[in-house]
Amino acid sequence: MTLELILLSAGKALFMVMFGMNLAVIMTWADRRQGAMINDRVGPNRAVIWLPKRVAQALVLAPAVLIAAAVVGYVVTHKVEGAPRLGRALLFSQLAIFGLWATLLAIAGRVARSGVKNSFDAWVASIGDPRSFLWLGLGAHAVTLAAAGLLRGTDIGRTLRDVGASAGPAVFAAAVVGGAGYAAWSFERVERVGLRLFGLLHPAADGLKTIWKEDFIPPNADKFLHGLAPIVSFFPALVVLAVVPFGDTLCFGSKAGRIDLTQVMRVVPREGLCTEGAVPLQVLDVNVGLLYFFAVAGTGIVGAALAGWASDNKFSLLGGVRAASQMVSYEVTLGLTLVGAMMVYGTLRVDEMVRWQSQNTWGIFVQPLAFVLFFTASVAESKRIPFDLPEGESELVAGYFTEYAGMKFAMFYFSEYVAVVAGSVLLSVLFLGGWHLPFIDRSGIHLQIGDTVLFHQTLSHVAVIVIGVLAFIGKVVALCWLNLMIRWTLPRFRYDQLMRLSWRKLLPASLVNILVTGLVMLLIAGASASVQAGLKVAADVTQLVIAVAGLSLGVWFVVFVTSPVKKKRILASTAAQFAAHLGGTRTARMGA
Amino acid sequence: MEPLDRDLDETEIELAAEPMLINVGPSHPAMHGTVRVVMELSGETIERCDVQVGYLHRGFEKMCERGTWTQVYPYVDRCNYVSPMLNNVGFSLACEKMLGIEVPERCQWYRMILGELARLSDHLTCDGAMAMELGAFTPFLWMVKARELVWDVMEEETGARLTHSFGRVGGMAAPPTPGFKEHVRAVVDQIRHVMDEVKRLLLGNRIFLDRLEGVGVISVDDAVSLGWTGPALRAAGVPYDVRKSYPYLKYGEVDFDVPVGSASDCYDRFMVRIEEMEQSARIIDQCLERMPDEGPINADDPRVVLPPKDEVYTTIEGTIRHFKIVMEGLKLPAGEVYSFTEGGNGELGFYLVSDGSGTPWRVRIRPPCFYVTGGLERVITGQMVADVVPCFGSLNMIGGECDR
Repeated sequence: MTLELILLSAGKALFMVMFGMNLAVIMTWADRRQGAMINDRVGPNRAVIWLPKRVAQALVLAPAVLIAAAVVGYVVTHKVEGAPRLGRALLFSQLAIFGLWATLLAIAGRVARSGVKNSFDAWVASIGDPRSFLWLGLGAHAVTLAAAGLLRGTDIGRTLRDVGASAGPAVFAAAVVGGAGYAAWSFERVERVGLRLFGLLHPAADGLKTIWKEDFIPPNADKFLHGLAPIVSFFPALVVLAVVPFGDTLCFGSKAGRIDLTQVMRVVPREGLCTEGAVPLQVLDVNVGLLYFFAVAGTGIVGAALAGWASDNKFSLLGGVRAASQMVSYEVTLGLTLVGAMMVYGTLRVDEMVRWQSQNTWGIFVQPLAFVLFFTASVAESKRIPFDLPEGESELVAGYFTEYAGMKFAMFYFSEYVAVVAGSVLLSVLFLGGWHLPFIDRSGIHLQIGDTVLFHQTLSHVAVIVIGVLAFIGKVVALCWLNLMIRWTLPRFRYDQLMRLSWRKLLPASLVNILVTGLVMLLIAGASASVQAGLKVAADVTQLVIAVAGLSLGVWFVVFVTSPVKKKRILASTAAQFAAHLGGTRTARMGA
Repeated sequence: MEPLDRDLDETEIELAAEPMLINVGPSHPAMHGTVRVVMELSGETIERCDVQVGYLHRGFEKMCERGTWTQVYPYVDRCNYVSPMLNNVGFSLACEKMLGIEVPERCQWYRMILGELARLSDHLTCDGAMAMELGAFTPFLWMVKARELVWDVMEEETGARLTHSFGRVGGMAAPPTPGFKEHVRAVVDQIRHVMDEVKRLLLGNRIFLDRLEGVGVISVDDAVSLGWTGPALRAAGVPYDVRKSYPYLKYGEVDFDVPVGSASDCYDRFMVRIEEMEQSARIIDQCLERMPDEGPINADDPRVVLPPKDEVYTTIEGTIRHFKIVMEGLKLPAGEVYSFTEGGNGELGFYLVSDGSGTPWRVRIRPPCFYVTGGLERVITGQMVADVVPCFGSLNMIGGECDR
């Protein structure tokens, strides 16, 4: 193993661990934030690091300047001609437009919250509804895309392409630096700046706090197993992530059989993978893939069961037994559900499963039932509401971790969230195409229905890979959010109902799924060529559906987030009228 | 080779399976208020159980015997602390029954509105907590937010959010505030809105229904013989509501229904409370309509009602009257009385014995949930451990009231 490969592996492992743990922390925050929102409270935001003004300004400006310099530097040093040039023009013009409207929207939001401070603020405020920036930006996105499609090959098109390729990066860099500059400049008025990261420091501080808490071990507990259980519970949830590819295979140049990390391929062809210098974005590239997942995920059960047994507490014991039986039951469903997927994809390798989906269609369309079953089972595996019987806070106090305090408790608590992330990662890779986005393949944007190519645009290899990684992260975040919503919506099962759901409903359904999958595969294999071509077109249509649905969801999300909050308050009591007369509090503006 | 266990039959190799004895409470998340349940479990099923109350006994009834009749109010406040106003009104009515006086019409409507608001707060808390303990946190937060609105009204009217001590023998401590009616209308509207959301979220939810339906069933005979009253009894199908059966205040003049259940399970108890909230809102609407904006709040009876402050400071008669009522306490005639009203959990009775001095001889409170909690053992035996949560929640045992 060469040094490059070791470095790469370490980097990939670091990425995956940081991704899983950070997302888990963010989910902890989001969970608490959700409760606060329903209750009209501010939520966890008290943890703060006070920075001197200059330091804060440097912290804001430095990354922005670095990003801008990197972008401009890359564009200046890496000149491209022909089709990739158009790709660069498109990419950077879109990025520039996005950067502009996102920055302006953020500034407008700030102006709306804390008032006009200067002439620029006054101009922003004069626009009126901050969302005009959003509409303008979306319009600009559409116009540039349409222009790229319509004016292709004409002289105007070429001119526009050159403008986009050179001005795009500049505008993007300017937007980033401008936004950061605005923030840095607004710090001028204050002495010190509180770094809160929307309250994200709060769960971090809570996590740190647990290290200094008393590590209580019940007198009659098995001390070794009591200490081992949180590790056994935490470790597998994280290690599962190793087999998951978080991006398409990255192609480097190669020199004398060794990977040359300084040279990334400019553009790669649509079909086939690079032979030398290929770096799969996956920590552990094993051919048993999914089996590894089952083996490791199954170990997590032991942690909860051990904790329940070793605590010398009847509540813990009940919780541990519940955990063991629940997770074993759902493990069966989890495994059988994926048999259908394995049959369709014809492989156990997770990266090849994603590749199959990128070439055909997402797994959710070929295995819809399996998707639902797997999702249910993965929620059950994470031991969260509605499946949090092992914890069962209202009847079993805290279930299997009743007797845990301090960091050991935090590890159990945290491993639940990491399990949610792991489940979401698996779900996105197996059924939602992993890093794949519709109509983006290894060479760039490629819009093809059946045999008709509607649009093709070459993008640089790095851009394609980055888009893939971002898509993967986006899908996982969306699924984590869905998990969060489930936790805040559903009550919990009773033990017998839970078992009934697993053995009488999910398990038979997954068996039926295998049967139906097999039959359909036989039918398709024996079908005529025209039917198979039709299926190919259908697959492409599903991609189109995903693309349209994804884009509209994205737009809806931004509109939803930016829409003004309307809170109905009853201003009848003296106290409320008094508060409203003063303009409300900083966090709850009344009557305004 | 022959199997090793050829001589053993099934029963012999079975492991010794003694039932697990588990102690739930008095300090346990499911045991709000402090009650202790010792359960004998076979697997997850409760074979036998022993419910032990009394951990919150503070000797209120005895403490009542050392002050004046008016000084009892803070104690009744702290009995059912989720609907203290109902206790205030109930105790006032008992004293007034003994005195043979009746408060003015405006005060009667006022008491009804405040009482029904307190009932809303009680049922919101009970149903919300029940949902929360089953894991549905969002409805609980919504309902507690709605309860907050009720408390805003209470704060505006009485100056206190929880322990109002607002009732007085022969009236109330203060007349309604000028914006009272608008405030209550806005609050009731908002509560109706919240309840619609909660119903949408919970009643279409299979998991929630499965947890409640057919769980914690008690027979009508058992319920009656245990002395159950209130929503728990009505869920068993007995339409006994003091407001309807023995109307007091102006309940005879307002139009409302008594919701009853049929299966007598947790679901029925949950739904009876949901429906009663709707009925309470109806009653409040009618009361607001009919409550006069002008008129006295306190009865015109110098024996029990404090004189107006300006009279106290300007006339010797006023000063003496004020002094005597405050220092000696108002004097209820010697004798005894039992007066009962519909509290949050059922029939809330006050049995008062007076010896004619200014101090109560005996104040006996009949707390509805003491009798209801008496049925807990019967309700949960044979159920699973997790069922204790909705069963106990739906009985709405309030520690302060049960143990006093």
